[in-house]
Amino acid sequence: MRYLFGGGTARLAPYLLVAPGLLLYMVVALGPSLATVVFSFTDASGLPRLPVHFVGLDNYKEFLTLGAASKENMQALVRTLIFCVGVTAIQFTFGLFVAILLNQGLRGTKFFRTLFFFPVILGVTIQGLMWSLFLYPIGGPLATVLSWFGLHSEFLGGQPTEAFIWVMVVQIWANMGITMVIFLAGLQTIPDEVFEAARIDGAGRWQMFRRVTWPLLTPAVNTNMVLTIIGSLQAWGLFFVLIGYRPGTQVLGYLVFATAFGQTTGSTAGNTFRQGYGAAAGVMLFLLVLAIGITTQYLLRRREARLLG
Amino acid sequence: MTTLAPSASRKKPRLSLARLTAYVVLIALSVIYLAPIALLVITSLKTLPEFTRDAISLPKSIGIDNFVEAWNKANFARYLLNTALYTAVSTVIFVISGTFLAVAIARRFVRGSGALFTLFLIALFLPPALIPQFQLILRLGLYNNPIGYVMLFLVNPIGIVILVNYIRTIPIELDEAAALEGVTYIRYVVQIVLPLIMPAIATVAVLHALGVWNELILATIYLTKADYYPITRGLIVFNGIYGNNWPVLAAAVMMIAAPMALFFILMQRYIIGGVTAGAVKG
Repeated sequence: MRYLFGGGTARLAPYLLVAPGLLLYMVVALGPSLATVVFSFTDASGLPRLPVHFVGLDNYKEFLTLGAASKENMQALVRTLIFCVGVTAIQFTFGLFVAILLNQGLRGTKFFRTLFFFPVILGVTIQGLMWSLFLYPIGGPLATVLSWFGLHSEFLGGQPTEAFIWVMVVQIWANMGITMVIFLAGLQTIPDEVFEAARIDGAGRWQMFRRVTWPLLTPAVNTNMVLTIIGSLQAWGLFFVLIGYRPGTQVLGYLVFATAFGQTTGSTAGNTFRQGYGAAAGVMLFLLVLAIGITTQYLLRRREARLLG
Repeated sequence: MTTLAPSASRKKPRLSLARLTAYVVLIALSVIYLAPIALLVITSLKTLPEFTRDAISLPKSIGIDNFVEAWNKANFARYLLNTALYTAVSTVIFVISGTFLAVAIARRFVRGSGALFTLFLIALFLPPALIPQFQLILRLGLYNNPIGYVMLFLVNPIGIVILVNYIRTIPIELDEAAALEGVTYIRYVVQIVLPLIMPAIATVAVLHALGVWNELILATIYLTKADYYPITRGLIVFNGIYGNNWPVLAAAVMMIAAPMALFFILMQRYIIGGVTAGAVKG
């Protein structure tokens, strides 16, 4: 594009004005992000003025193969995948279903849309505390309701699997609104005439969805798939607020934070900040995100090509 | 920006089995969405003995004792002020620097604009910056320092992507008209482009502000002094101390969540616009 705002020194204006934003991005975000790889080869700690040594692949060896800890790491990795698959499948399905319901011109659509999106803006702190109260095992609201039916549950304080499932529930409750509004926006790009034509051709409800809505929603499907998969692989804030760092519940993202900032026992006392090791765990998470992200993109592209061709 | 109003041209509402089913599903889901929120409100109005006796009964009398107690027990006024400051400063700086970045990238006014744009696009996939960021702030001597904390929120790659995509929709003829008038680059950006991209700016600013307002993890890492706590960290620490006194804790959470609900209702258009921006294009 031709620059129309003067030559000579005036030509430098856009460069000068780009510089602050770009510099900030490099220094605060992009640089540190890439430097994680470098740190993963060192024994960096969280203490200032402590010498940092290059230790080669030691952190990775320890993460993958050393004793009981590496077994827990592997379990955290598997749990991260389970969390991702569970959250994505349910959030995607619900988001799509609700969006279709809300696109029928029903009364109260605006109310429902506002309600389902509302948790998104609250952030993990309020989302987490709200559900901690709701799920409080000793005479809390849900425990009271269950007791009417003679049921009993430990919720967040109980066995790890139950706590883990509840974090998934809260994660979906908190983020389904995002999936929903993206699908709603997608649905609104489909012209009414298309549905009208399908109706005239005698298409039933299911056929209409299968042959018209679903293929035409492809851009929204792609966005939601990628956002939810990547987001749920990296999410761990609700684990932090709802149950803390507890054996049998950790996911990779939380493991990175906990090892690097001495939170593995729930407090900072007596813990070391193993930042080099934490960085190695961070790189493992990155590789997982990359592998799954690329596979997802590939599969979505292939699907798109098949639909168009 | 996408408007999400239901399309008016759909068929006239008539009660059919399908419609009835739709309502049943939506109302059932609403109950799941409302339950934790409603119980937070109810609990915040009860006394502790009332809550212990029955966690879901309605309060006998409505009082604000819990709110007063929560307000007095923790320095929430201070935390709120901190959060407001962190949010305002970082959002203003980001929006200003981000606008200049986005205009130059969208109009290819700097060399390598395409590569620059990619740099922001891939941010979602990059490794967590947590650890080197901490080492950087530590070495700069900005640990446990509000300036160091705010520094972390001066960039927002997704915001840049939204701005660039929006600016690209503005016709190029505008630039030529501006050039004919002989305006300088800064005036072109501030007086001509800026007013036209206000909807996108509002969206990006609101999204960014929400992110800073809700940040908990970085506050946990960087701000250990209570005077610097943002409201999120303040609430978690309060929870650690008064975790068993649910009515007071619920009141504390309510005090923070209620203004956010109001903000959401006022800003809904921009927030949802931000989430869906660029999401449904081919």
